[in-house]
Amino acid sequence: MQDTNVLVTFCSRLGSTERLALAAALGAVQARANIRLRWLRETAEDDAIDRIPGWRENRSRMAREYIAPREIDFQWADALVIAIPDRVGMSSPELSPYFEALKAVQSAGTLHVSAAAVLGTGAAEAAFAQLGLTLVPLDQSPVLDQDPIKHAVERARLQGHRVTEAARARR
Amino acid sequence: MITIRRSAERGHADQGWLNSYYTFSFASYYDPAHMGFRALRVINEDRIAPGRGFGAHAHRDMEIMTYVLEGSLTHRDSMGEIQTFGANTIQVMSAGTGVIHSEFNGSEGEPGHFLQIWIEPAVLDVEPSYQQISFDPQEKRGRFRLLAAPAGSDHGEAAEIHQDASVYAAELGSGENLNRTLAPGRHAWVQVARGNVTVNGEALGEGDAAAAGDERELSFTGGPGGCELLYFDLA
Repeated sequence: MQDTNVLVTFCSRLGSTERLALAAALGAVQARANIRLRWLRETAEDDAIDRIPGWRENRSRMAREYIAPREIDFQWADALVIAIPDRVGMSSPELSPYFEALKAVQSAGTLHVSAAAVLGTGAAEAAFAQLGLTLVPLDQSPVLDQDPIKHAVERARLQGHRVTEAARARR
Repeated sequence: MITIRRSAERGHADQGWLNSYYTFSFASYYDPAHMGFRALRVINEDRIAPGRGFGAHAHRDMEIMTYVLEGSLTHRDSMGEIQTFGANTIQVMSAGTGVIHSEFNGSEGEPGHFLQIWIEPAVLDVEPSYQQISFDPQEKRGRFRLLAAPAGSDHGEAAEIHQDASVYAAELGSGENLNRTLAPGRHAWVQVARGNVTVNGEALGEGDAAAAGDERELSFTGGPGGCELLYFDLA
């Protein structure tokens, strides 16, 4: 079986969206993919960060544990997963480095991505569609239980698994 | 016959924050003559600067053991474990169907020094698990303290791994002697974690290792200043 490479990128303040990204990455690993986890750091003033308990600590931790996505990550990837919270819109500064790098790789003809999944807002899905990538819709995942957080995490794991299988099948 | 693997012959990578010696091929170090020994696939000796470490990354189908020599490590994984541990502790993560974890030097001021060991599992796709067992350092003084043993065996207070392999730690004072009989069909790997030791007349220093398969009786004598070693009993 050829390796399938999945780039999982997320934007998270307190760790909830990070948890979804980790679940998606885990699903990809369970589907025997290689994964890279990347973090989009939110731009914010110090006082805004300090107004939200736990943000600064998590921000420091995530800055240690993750790097931002690079062009070589997009060149490496067969599949993309992006997890973003609802507050992050398409025009937000957090997402622009992601799409700029993605567009640069696509323009250079070195993008090999054949499947993508979005955990988050519809705006991001639309952006992926514009870039001509194939989406794996979230709403095809089965409902597993009534716990919204547990459900979202499990759904993310299944998305990671499915996007890997989709990329592998489309080679 | 005992085969010696000298410390200086190991692969080496110094990234500033991370100084690693690879007993077997790992990452950018590749030597087809040193791909592992029996099910033992990796022994990395890592020194990590304060506050630095390995970001989130994935493992699958591997028994991953960490043995801290100095300082501490903070582990965080997709199973929800967040643990900080130091010396005289064996940490084992069975990656099985998949685990994502990060490891950082738990101290902001003290460097971390540890051995990271990978053993190939006999069975694939096991449920991932995390084990961390601390022990009194006296339990390894002048004797072999079992750190990890095959799952399902009668192993007392040791971590379980999914392989027919047992891992021990032992500390010997200068001139102190310890013997070990290798059962028929078994193989031994001896890794010197600290100090100096003589194994069946072969002098080994820190970072050196010895492999034995034919010799049934192994005799260990602590060198000047004593030693700490890890002993692997492998199928």
